[in-house]
Amino acid sequence: MVAEQTSTHIEEWNRQLAEYEESQHVDGFKRVLSRMRRNKLLVLGSALGLVLLGAGIFGPWISGVNYTAQNFQKTHLPPGSEGYLLGSDGLGRDIAVRLFMGLRVSLIVAAGVTALALVAGIVLGMASGFLGGWTDRGIRGVVDFVWGFPLILVAVLFAGGLGEGLFPVILAVGLVNTAAIARVVRGEVLALSEKEFIEAARAGGLSTFRIMWRHIFPNILAPALVLASYYVAVAVIAEAALSFIGLGAQPPTPSLGQMVADGRNFLRLNHWESTLPGITIVILVLSVSLIGDGLRDVFDPRLRHEAKGIDRE
Amino acid sequence: MGNSWMREEFGQEVAQLAEQYEAKKINRRDFMKRLGMAGIGVTAAATILAACGGGDDAGTPTTAGAAAAPTTTEGPMQPVTGGTLREGYNRDVSKHDPLTTNWYDPAFFAIYEAILSNDPSGATVPQFASDFSVSDDGLEYRFTIPEGKLSHSGGTIDAEMVAEFYRAVQEFSFIAGLAAPVDTYDAEGNEVVVKMKNAWIGALGPHKTGYWRIININTWKESTLTDEGEINVESTYGTEFADGTGPFTHEEWVPGSHVLVNRWEDYPGTQTPFLENKGKAYLDAIRWTVITESGQRATQLENGDIDTLIGPAPQDISRLESNSDLTTIRHPEWSGYHLAMNRDYDEFFGDVLTRQGLSHALDRQGMVDAILFGNGAPTLGPFPTTDRQYEPAVEEFNQFDIDLANQKLDEAGWVLGADGVRERAGFKFEFEYLVEDETVQKAVAEAVAQQFSVVGVDAQLNVVDRAVAFEFQSGEGRDAAPMSLFFWLWPIPLDVLILFGGSQFIPVPNFSHAVEPRIDAAIETWLASATDAEAQAASSEFQLAWAEQLPYLPIMNQNATFVHNNKVHGWQPFVWNLYPYYNDTWIEA
Repeated sequence: MVAEQTSTHIEEWNRQLAEYEESQHVDGFKRVLSRMRRNKLLVLGSALGLVLLGAGIFGPWISGVNYTAQNFQKTHLPPGSEGYLLGSDGLGRDIAVRLFMGLRVSLIVAAGVTALALVAGIVLGMASGFLGGWTDRGIRGVVDFVWGFPLILVAVLFAGGLGEGLFPVILAVGLVNTAAIARVVRGEVLALSEKEFIEAARAGGLSTFRIMWRHIFPNILAPALVLASYYVAVAVIAEAALSFIGLGAQPPTPSLGQMVADGRNFLRLNHWESTLPGITIVILVLSVSLIGDGLRDVFDPRLRHEAKGIDRE
Repeated sequence: MGNSWMREEFGQEVAQLAEQYEAKKINRRDFMKRLGMAGIGVTAAATILAACGGGDDAGTPTTAGAAAAPTTTEGPMQPVTGGTLREGYNRDVSKHDPLTTNWYDPAFFAIYEAILSNDPSGATVPQFASDFSVSDDGLEYRFTIPEGKLSHSGGTIDAEMVAEFYRAVQEFSFIAGLAAPVDTYDAEGNEVVVKMKNAWIGALGPHKTGYWRIININTWKESTLTDEGEINVESTYGTEFADGTGPFTHEEWVPGSHVLVNRWEDYPGTQTPFLENKGKAYLDAIRWTVITESGQRATQLENGDIDTLIGPAPQDISRLESNSDLTTIRHPEWSGYHLAMNRDYDEFFGDVLTRQGLSHALDRQGMVDAILFGNGAPTLGPFPTTDRQYEPAVEEFNQFDIDLANQKLDEAGWVLGADGVRERAGFKFEFEYLVEDETVQKAVAEAVAQQFSVVGVDAQLNVVDRAVAFEFQSGEGRDAAPMSLFFWLWPIPLDVLILFGGSQFIPVPNFSHAVEPRIDAAIETWLASATDAEAQAASSEFQLAWAEQLPYLPIMNQNATFVHNNKVHGWQPFVWNLYPYYNDTWIEA
């Protein structure tokens, strides 16, 4: 009889807890959206990002020009030349279309890297922080080991093993970014583990997986997303850098870094071949960074208050 | 070209000779001979020759900038001893070991002497030897080695040492096949005696190249051979030290960075007739800086970071030519870009119609204009058009014609698929296309791949570094890449191209693994040619067979371009030797 009463009590407790979290979640979501709309940096970054995303997705299609089409009689043309909005490269290819394609490559790599890093980083970070013991020591050891390697070195190792191309780049950058996200997530999880609601969930007899999924995961998602947005920018720069040294996309697929590299030999002849993809990289990274900063402002009240000078008062 | 400066500097007789040469009333050889008779030094003669430009023979250089003025000649200026020549070089450096290297760089011309050399007119003259002769039947060559010849370590280099070195070339060098008709090397007194298997007019050619440059073979054997007589791959000969016979000694060799050589104070002197300085070099040292960033080369020269430059980027040449502080020398180069098609991928490249279809899809002139900025020429056969043995009949083949390309591929049974890629017998016409990560090669490869795509062929580029490219080019069977681009550079095209085309050289350097009976027969005839006429006939047949059967797709050759600061004197590269000699070079104080 006592056991039956206790069981009913616990079920009621869990139901109320779930309802409370759900209401907090819905209210929180509205608050977040409202904050996002008010954050000018986030709006600016998102607008820029949307334009670039649109250019990457629809640009090649709208232009109707093949990015590999070459014309040996029209090489190294400056922007504004007839038939070439942004000029042509050394093989007479349309720089505008190649920029669109380069953007697409950068966005694919950034998306791939971020997806990989976010999923793997959250899983590893949660497991490490919440399970503790050998699991923690094992994951932490691997993460620290990977984190200790320079990104370029990891990329070179992957390229050596898998060959040049986008896939090794995504794996290499994704691996390093995974380590970065896993470290932060683990720290967040350790802090959360001490909270009362986690203690309550444990006392309520919820399984470890359920606690992690229902109570830990929603609470670390926001900081992980903020961090991931920062690492999108890192991924864009890393892809450009790796393509610059020939480890990224293989010709004729254009990438922004590769276009900068190819154009650097013709700086005196037609600097636009390098500067245009360079500027595009800057805008893309700026856009992603603004989004990242904006998200941090939205999701981290302490930082938001700091920005408003509340802490100083 | 106005010859008034020649009249002022060298007198009426020289100016008149130059006018006759420019008017093609005399050929280059006679021109050089008469300049010599007029008391003109060889370096000065070479400059006059260069300034005349547009000669009747292959290899005539064009010179721009200050070369039109006599600033690089002796004139009233006397050579100054001292200083370090800083030379920019467009490739990474190879080890300074003629026996085991697979490429030779300008430093070979400073560290080593060859037994013979080409002079500025292309004639064969003694260098390490003081004299040479050939028997009437063409079966025996004799080279006289003067007394007192030394190597950098102080060892005596006599006829026996030279003969032993040549025997080592036969045994160890990967390129020994160039001199296949040579039977034996022996010494008789102070003469090196070369006995031939058959009379061969090309016998002297290989002996003038970097791979036959004379080293102290005793030093090499001690440092490089194992007890079993095998090459020790960990030997540091050519990387940490070298024991050569040239006017400079090996000091530093840092791949990817630089090479440094110092003047050899005990240099016993040279017999080379066209070099004015027979004694030790004027320069204290020469430092070659590796500048693989093509756009950086010209900038470094313009900024004064280097004094001379080998191989500026094509896009910078016209700018350098207009710089009055610099002299630019351009030669039609004996080189070529070729596409290897691995015949072990029989489904793609096994039939000649397919290969011809691919060839007709290539706009070679367009690539010369766009990629080399006109500093080169299309090649429709294996040889550059300016080679002495060039066979113009090859121009019947391989002309750019998209319709003909499609027609040939159709006839070969390739049907265009829905995705725009051709198919035949269940095989899609798509394959890996390997290229070295070097600016021009990459651009050529991209241009070629795009032109193939126009006729429904999907050549998928794989850009890799030089070592990886060579590894995947030189594999056996299908281990080698289906298609790869390579660049060759050699003073006598036929000599090296027989290695690329001969069936006995599969898989290396016959990267196409091509067995072409007609080409093999032409090679055999060439190696048995005892007269100029026989050699030309064999060479013509070789070129025609190549152009028609296409073991490789010829693309284009580029000009050899050299630039120097006008304070550098006596640096006179000429195409016959690939690189300049440094005996006469000096720098104004």
